[in-house]
Amino acid sequence: MPGLGTSFGRGGATTAQQDLANADAILIMGSSMAENHPVGFQWVVEAREKNGAKIIHVDPRFTRTSAMSDYWLPLRAGTDIVFLGALINYTLTNERWFRDYVVHYTNAPTILRSDFMDTEELGGLFSGWDAKNETYDPETWLYEGAARKEEGGGQEKDRGGESQDLDRPHRDETLQHRRCVFQVLKRHFARYTPEMVEQACGIPAEKFLEVADVFTAASGREKTGAICYAVGWTQHSTGVQIIRAASILQLLLGNIGRPGGGILALRGHASIQGSTDVPTLYDILPGYLPMPAVERTLDEYVKRHKSPKGWWYNLDKYIVSLLKSYYGEAATTDNGFGFSWLPRLTRDHSYFGYWMDMADGKLEGLLVMGQNPAVGSPNAKLERKALSKLKWLVVRDMVETETATFWNEFPECDTEVFFFPAASHVEKEGTFTNTQRLLQWREKAVEPPGEARSELQFMIDLGRRLKRRASESPRDAGLRALTWNYSDEDAGEILREIHGGHVDGRSIKDFSELKNDGSTACGCWIYSGVYDGENRADGRDPHGRYGHGWGYTWPLDRRILYNRASADPDGKPWSERKALVWWDEARREWVGHDEADFTRGKAPDFKGDPEGGGDEALPGDAPFIMHPDGVGWIWVATGLKDGPLPAHYEPLESNVHNQLYPAQDKNPAALWMKREDNEYAGSPDDRFPYVLTTYRLTEHHTAGGMSRTLPHLAELQPELFTEISPELARELGVANGDVVEISTVRAAIRARALVTTRMPSLDVGGKRVHQVGLPYHWGPNGLVKGDVVNDLLAISEEPNVRIFESKGLSCNVRRA
Amino acid sequence: MKTPDRASEKRLDEIRREAGVTGRVDAKGIRANGAPLPEASGANGYYGLPLLKQPVWSWEIPAYFFVGGAAGAAAMIGVAAGLSGAEQRLVRDARWIAAIGANLSAPLLIADLGRPERFLNMLRVFKPRSPMSAGAWIFTAFGASAVGAVILPGRLRDLAACGSAAAGLGMATYTGVLLGATSIPVWARHAAVLPVHFGASATASAVSLLELRGHDDRALNILGIASALIETATGARIELMDDIESLPLRSGPTGALTRAGGVLSGPVPLLLRLLGSRSKKTRRLAAASSLVGSLITRLAWVAAGRASARSPAK
Amino acid sequence: MTVTGFFTDSTLCIGCKACEVACKEWNDVPDDGFSFSGLSYDNTLALGHSTWRHVKFVEHDAVIGRGGNAPELMTWEFSSDVCKHCENAGCLDACPTGSIVRTEFGSVYVQPDICNGCGYCVVSCPFGVIDRRPSDGRAFKCTFCYDRQRAGEEPACAKACPTQSILFGDLEELQRLADARIEKLHANGMTDATIYNPVDTSVGGTHAFFLVRGDVRAYNLPPRPEVPATLLPKAWTSAAVAAGALAIGSILAFALGARR
Ligand SMILES: Nc1nc2c(c(=O)[nH]1)N[C@H]1C(S)=C(S)[C@@H](COP(=O)(O)OP(=O)(O)OC[C@H]3O[C@@H](n4cnc5c(=O)[nH]c(N)nc54)[C@H](O)[C@@H]3O)O[C@H]1N2
Ligand SMILES: Nc1nc2c(c(=O)[nH]1)N[C@H]1C(S)=C(S)[C@@H](COP(=O)(O)OP(=O)(O)OC[C@H]3O[C@@H](n4cnc5c(=O)[nH]c(N)nc54)[C@H](O)[C@@H]3O)O[C@H]1N2
Ligand code: SF4
Ligand code: SF4
Ligand code: SF4
Ligand code: SF4
Ligand code: SF4
Ligand SMILES: [Mo]
Repeated sequence: MPGLGTSFGRGGATTAQQDLANADAILIMGSSMAENHPVGFQWVVEAREKNGAKIIHVDPRFTRTSAMSDYWLPLRAGTDIVFLGALINYTLTNERWFRDYVVHYTNAPTILRSDFMDTEELGGLFSGWDAKNETYDPETWLYEGAARKEEGGGQEKDRGGESQDLDRPHRDETLQHRRCVFQVLKRHFARYTPEMVEQACGIPAEKFLEVADVFTAASGREKTGAICYAVGWTQHSTGVQIIRAASILQLLLGNIGRPGGGILALRGHASIQGSTDVPTLYDILPGYLPMPAVERTLDEYVKRHKSPKGWWYNLDKYIVSLLKSYYGEAATTDNGFGFSWLPRLTRDHSYFGYWMDMADGKLEGLLVMGQNPAVGSPNAKLERKALSKLKWLVVRDMVETETATFWNEFPECDTEVFFFPAASHVEKEGTFTNTQRLLQWREKAVEPPGEARSELQFMIDLGRRLKRRASESPRDAGLRALTWNYSDEDAGEILREIHGGHVDGRSIKDFSELKNDGSTACGCWIYSGVYDGENRADGRDPHGRYGHGWGYTWPLDRRILYNRASADPDGKPWSERKALVWWDEARREWVGHDEADFTRGKAPDFKGDPEGGGDEALPGDAPFIMHPDGVGWIWVATGLKDGPLPAHYEPLESNVHNQLYPAQDKNPAALWMKREDNEYAGSPDDRFPYVLTTYRLTEHHTAGGMSRTLPHLAELQPELFTEISPELARELGVANGDVVEISTVRAAIRARALVTTRMPSLDVGGKRVHQVGLPYHWGPNGLVKGDVVNDLLAISEEPNVRIFESKGLSCNVRRA
Repeated sequence: MKTPDRASEKRLDEIRREAGVTGRVDAKGIRANGAPLPEASGANGYYGLPLLKQPVWSWEIPAYFFVGGAAGAAAMIGVAAGLSGAEQRLVRDARWIAAIGANLSAPLLIADLGRPERFLNMLRVFKPRSPMSAGAWIFTAFGASAVGAVILPGRLRDLAACGSAAAGLGMATYTGVLLGATSIPVWARHAAVLPVHFGASATASAVSLLELRGHDDRALNILGIASALIETATGARIELMDDIESLPLRSGPTGALTRAGGVLSGPVPLLLRLLGSRSKKTRRLAAASSLVGSLITRLAWVAAGRASARSPAK
Repeated sequence: MTVTGFFTDSTLCIGCKACEVACKEWNDVPDDGFSFSGLSYDNTLALGHSTWRHVKFVEHDAVIGRGGNAPELMTWEFSSDVCKHCENAGCLDACPTGSIVRTEFGSVYVQPDICNGCGYCVVSCPFGVIDRRPSDGRAFKCTFCYDRQRAGEEPACAKACPTQSILFGDLEELQRLADARIEKLHANGMTDATIYNPVDTSVGGTHAFFLVRGDVRAYNLPPRPEVPATLLPKAWTSAAVAAGALAIGSILAFALGARR
């Protein structure tokens, strides 16, 4: 989650759902929280009912979330940056920003290089664009006086940038310097006006202004506002920059690290946060350590990624402890703790990268566990075709998904499919890490049926078998060295390994005790603390405002990140009403309602020890402890591939031209993955005049394997439908309930028309724009069947996280 | 957008008519281009969906109303005939009709139950507030006595016959209460007349059965005329009412059925009996008409109940 | 035993249908068919033999700039319906087998081991709640989670509700809460909010009552429900008259007929 990671230092929601209850305003955008996070939504309702908080929902559709909100603004899909940019502009021009916070806790005063050129000057591009390689060289984005850092290498995205050179910024606390971030920001967002919102998003300017006034009022010492988003923001070719825009807004309003503030990234599956923390991703190791690519030795790796200031100063301790956890006694000082055994990024190993390889017949086999790409992934048609090129496919699932039965479509294909029944979450123990970084332990409630087994059992067994077959070749050295003496199924054992300890068996309290000399081992440093003698994820005794004692939040049970910012630079709460943690002079430590996300005994007036490394180098009024400069980043100098500030670009398929930067329609850094079976409509394209967006229904779950198969859910939404406006329905001669055909350049599917004013047609720059909405839960298996919406989508990649664009494409609709 | 033409306007008129009559529109035409979206509102209720549940009874229950009613009235007629010293054959036939009717009723009643094997649970309790419970006991008493009235020896038989007449009065009329005292608007609307209506219908059926068995006692014709009069009046009343609740009795398929039943049990036998009271053949015709009319009437009321339950909240 | 009740507040309901599903899960209720209605997001459409909690979606035109909580305007109202557990219950009155009883919690309960599927309760409920399940033959409706209440647990639907739209508890306490709630909403300008609890009809109030916005008929709630039993005097009088007429009439007819 680099949007948050670069802005604040950690790639996770800055707050907890419970804390929403303390907000004075909540902006929900790019999420239909009431529908997709209904349980967490209770705290939105609580804020509304108890504090009279104003709830704002910005969504192309009037959803169940809108129905619970005070304000609903429909926007054209894919124009979120215009809207947020205009909010930023509104905040700046109407003096709604929280000066004391901005000056002390953000990089607004930091002065930038003189050779930086903004989109203003370059027609929608930032300086550093390399047209040949279609990438940015971010050197000109650096702070003034910062040396250019070494090129290439690991993925810094989730860690707030590898900016070891940004630690001694030139600052102007009056914010007047022409090249300080604040002034650059002002100029950059000056074109994001209410009129532009009207022209690009289709939201009437006066409605925008009403809402802007309401949200930006939730700022200052006495008030806070929160922002909730989910994949309505991320699944765009500009997804990360949308989240960046929200981060900038919240920093300006002084809403990060404070009660009722923050940005809540609402995540997907029950433990999707967990699967980025202890990642199933190709480019990071547990705890957001970069996956090695070109680094040959541990020293090279450490040199490249360790930061002299801020928390990443400790990177060497974490990587060495991880290697000790992997390789045990085989990891020694002499062999760089087995660093060379780690796999390397040698080419595009991203999700879509390997699907393309598969489609080209370059992959032999695939293990699919807990995923249903035949329905859930974009251009699912291409993905099913890719499966047919495999030699073998293993599917581990609780139901026979479309991925396991894809071959019905390819009767001739030679793929051998193995289906393994999986135990469900109630049939095995373990933890979930939820959307707010909270680990919750789960007991096994019932035995799995038949031969269904847990992932843990399966993986342990697989590991044993692979180790047994490990050859003597150097290639298998890592496999041979891998410690693998697990009992058959004990998730607690795994959690203890993740928590870590001394290699001699003594326990540790948390990651502060980790060492870089090989004397400690730790499976994922950010989780270290979860098993300090007892399984704290299993805590069932909540107390206090944030329910400490129930489960365990990484890091160190801190429920609200960067909460040092809830106190002023002197360590006093900004106001009584918004007190969270504060400096207790008598006890000489930080106290309050939450664990301070700060070194406990570091006084507010501590100046920072320039000689010391890491956290010691940061002063007592620097709340963003992961960052080398200790402040929140309005400006992201390094870590992002498409610019230091957000800029609006149109979706990859769009019939509207970029009205902000007419010369630059699309995000230049986005990856199209264009090929014969992954084509795009033109921009504009008469054949596909409508905007298509896709989303979820409360009644179903993602690719439907877990809901279309259950009668009690399937009956609630039994058929695929498309939401269209009465106006479009009239134009098409379609009545409510009719079957229509929706097509993109890639495919055509059928759905029933649900004609509703909840899906309004909009006036966009003098043109009437019709939007077409499709939930994507259906497929050919299950109790209720339907066409696969994802056949309509393209595989495209946002440059930073390589996510596809599912919200905002071009389509056509006709009567079927 | 399609511009309205004569055909579409005509379709719209039809839809309006349908909506006016039934309170909702099921027709395909609702999908007409530009047709209004379904609406939940004070006027339409919840998207025009029914508020109430339809009666679950199938044909057995109206058939039981018919058979049981005729049997009950026959028991009474048998006793009245016996008291007046009428022909013994008439008395005996009346008792047999009652007994056979009672025996036919039981399977009809049981067959309609969701759990027929639990029929006897009807006799677990006696609940005066439940017409169904009262009916179950009336039916039990009637069945026992009506059978007794044909199989018991001597005086016991006559005693049983008296009992069956008393219970038979209940049989002929309680079904009106059973329908009337419910939440189904069309039934509830007529709660005060349904027992009389059903009683008359039952009497006419019993009379008709006896006449068709070859009895020509004048009393039967008198009773036939009286019931036909009541049925005519009931029918006229329904036609003259213009309430929404009674719509299913006047329009649509259920309206047609009601009218058919009403005409066959009211004016037709009435005229036949009055005009051709001397002709045996005309009387037989009247009897047949009443009988069919009575059966149709029972079917019509239950069908109308179903239609009535389909309308949204009012 | 205190009398318990449900207060379902549709201004807090997010339409998630968790109540509907939790009810089915707990009570092992089968599906109600898989058909698309096209009526907003509601595909189960009504309470019935296989839907004991039902979430209604009352949709009005959406207006740009206004969310559903805007006091001056209704847009998309969700309301979770359930058996009303009437103070005077038509179904209970009607049941000839004594299958339907009033429990110690004041709720109206169908004993599945007694019901013989006569169907009379079906036509006697003024709210169209109870129905006979064709595949089973017996009548079903909300049990008010009698089994859970006996075990000291709250009903499954209330337990699952994330926003406390369904409040379960002491009936009188709930009525106080409802009064306070409606007062607050009115003070906030949401003047179209009303409590639906027919206390002043023969139903005599319900143990499950509701807060909805706008015309209650839009939620298929009858504005003035009456218990069928109110019709009994009328109907039995009519029956007595009819029976009397038949008795006297037939005796007279034979007397008359015999005279000639
Ligand atoms: N019931 C249920 N809950 C779920 C899931 C489920 O399938 N079912 N899935 C889980 C998973 S995996 C995830 S990732 C989360 C996702 O949670 P959400 O992100 O809330 O899910 P979506 O419904 O895909 O999208 C949210 C909203 O974005 C709107 N939208 C579409 N295009 C745009 C746009 O361009 N801009 C803006 N601002 N909004 C747009 C859609 O109309 C939709 O209302 O939910 C999780 N929770
Ligand atoms: N058009 C469009 N496409 C989208 C999105 C969108 O908004 N629009 N959203 C995207 C998002 S955010 C997501 S997360 C994906 C989701 O897409 P997928 O992950 O492909 O879909 P799921 O149905 O969630 O697949 C999870 C599978 O795991 C199985 N499962 C559940 N528990 C277990 C377990 O314990 N063990 C094992 N082995 N299996 C288990 C389930 O039965 C199910 O089949 O869809 C993406 N696709
Ligand atoms: S399914 Fe689970 S994670 Fe999702 S809202 Fe419900 S309780 Fe929360
Ligand atoms: S609502 Fe109907 S089913 Fe429920 S108690 Fe009242 S009468 Fe009985
Ligand atoms: S169907 Fe069952 S519950 Fe209903 S009235 Fe008949 S016996 Fe009673
Ligand atoms: S009380 Fe129990 S039975 Fe009734 S609706 Fe709720 S969960 Fe279902
Ligand atoms: S569970 Fe609660 S919020 Fe969800 S639909 Fe039911 S009543 Fe509404
Ligand atoms: Mo997701």
